[in-house]
Amino acid sequence: MKRDPLLLTGLALGAGLLFLAPVIYSIWLSFQTANAYYTGTLAFTLDNYGHAIGQYNFARYLVNSVIVSGLVTLIGISLATMAAFAFARWRFWGGDFLFGAVVATLMIPSHITLIPNYLTLAKVGLLDTYAGLVLPAISSGFAAFFLRQYIRGIPRALDEAAYMDGATPLQVLLRVIVPVARPAILSMGLYIFISEWNSYIWPLVAVGRQDMYTLQIGLARLYRINPGEGMIDWPLVMAASTLTLLPVLLGFFLVERHLIRGITMGAVK
Amino acid sequence: MTAGQTDTARPAVARRPFAGRRLLRRATPYLFALPLLLFIAVFTYIPIASSLNLSLREWNFLRPDKPFVGLENYRTLLSQREVWNALRVTVIFAVISVPLRLGLALMIASYLVRETLPSRLLRGALFLPSVTSTVSIAVIFSWVFATDGGLMNAALTSLGGPKVPWMQDPMLALCVLIAVNTWKQLGYDVIIYIAGLQAVPPELYDAAAVDGGRRWHVFRRVTVPLVMPTTYFLLVIAVIEAFQVFTIVDVMTRGGPAGATDMLVNMLYRVGFTLFDIGQGSALAVLLFLLLIGLALVKSRILGRRVHYEA
Repeated sequence: MKRDPLLLTGLALGAGLLFLAPVIYSIWLSFQTANAYYTGTLAFTLDNYGHAIGQYNFARYLVNSVIVSGLVTLIGISLATMAAFAFARWRFWGGDFLFGAVVATLMIPSHITLIPNYLTLAKVGLLDTYAGLVLPAISSGFAAFFLRQYIRGIPRALDEAAYMDGATPLQVLLRVIVPVARPAILSMGLYIFISEWNSYIWPLVAVGRQDMYTLQIGLARLYRINPGEGMIDWPLVMAASTLTLLPVLLGFFLVERHLIRGITMGAVK
Repeated sequence: MTAGQTDTARPAVARRPFAGRRLLRRATPYLFALPLLLFIAVFTYIPIASSLNLSLREWNFLRPDKPFVGLENYRTLLSQREVWNALRVTVIFAVISVPLRLGLALMIASYLVRETLPSRLLRGALFLPSVTSTVSIAVIFSWVFATDGGLMNAALTSLGGPKVPWMQDPMLALCVLIAVNTWKQLGYDVIIYIAGLQAVPPELYDAAAVDGGRRWHVFRRVTVPLVMPTTYFLLVIAVIEAFQVFTIVDVMTRGGPAGATDMLVNMLYRVGFTLFDIGQGSALAVLLFLLLIGLALVKSRILGRRVHYEA
């Protein structure tokens, strides 16, 4: 049962585009004038982006999102890698229990921490700050679990050789483990970045001041306040939405394979 | 290296028995794990204990002195229709969307399991929504299902159909949320299933085919049982996600119309952060927590014995 591969490719492409049609169409819409949209004509403009970035402050939200997601990713992946190294290479008193406590966070519904974390940060005056957005999001049990499995697969002879040469454990981690585990660390870093970029409920709780909004909060608010008299200014909203989803989308095309490998390796084991 | 060697033995350092060094050596793994454990303790485990404590206190605008009230918050919550409504809506959401996700994903995955260009392209397209901003997706679909000027109604009316008030009808609004959630999560499930299917030895399919198995028969009798471990993994994830759904609801319906799409976490957010009833909000969080743990236990009971770990 041989079928024409070109035809199949065309069909697959068509089905894929159809599946993504709402997103593609929303991006198309973001380049139209509101007038043209409501009268059913065609007129293209970049004004929607201008308004979103200028008048509606999305430049600021973009910067906030980059800072927060960047910090969470850098700190989060460092802590996860260090812990993974410890759990993969040593057997120590309480180690299994502590690793269990790390893995258990994967099953704990995060919403139970919402109110207490809000109260804690309010008490130390960190609401409406980058620290308040970043700190509760840093620990990634998934990354630690995944990297530990990965590091266990690295031959211990590599560590031993470095120790023979007088390396300290920290040097072994930085010079031996990290370079070898680079693909895994990269895909986990990416996973953390994307989750944090798209995170909604914690920023919603932790931030009240408008200039501390992340893109997600900014977009949700913009959609809710409905600019435009009576009717929603969909082209403007779609420009804001495109600004919100595009960075991750572009990153996705660059590293799709890394990401998918990371996610599936964690699941099928 | 021999298999029996213990993890603690590291010859290079072991030869220098200075007390300080030995202490440092023993402390090494703790030092590496400590930063992560500290964050997990402060922002996950202590808050769980703290939620339990807060749920036993009355703490709102009227009582800033937060007196201990025992199970009063739970009693009040469980006597409210709002809670039972949110529970009912969340359960309906989960009961429909979880099998929908997994069923569709497994069927699609069994078509896309081969490493060809068309199957790669489709996988990429399917996977994209799961890494896309949920708020963006919710906003985009709010437009797709808008009564006036929405994509869906434009398509319907151009075919001579009626204008459907998607988001104003209680039943339809819930269906829309389920559809959007499925659309977003499907690609993840497909990718995981493909990985699971690729781990199945192809001889088993060949054997089934030689036995004269039809496509559906092979799917039912070979594919489904063999990917049981994957199904179990995805089931756990999908159920946890379904019971914690918040973002699409908050953006698209805010629980409306008339509470028809009000989920547990949306109610939790409302009680805790709009009404600022810390006590009742915490009690609700604890109930949700217990519910999910209960579900996890039930699932491992029921499914644990039916999982085929080996082919």
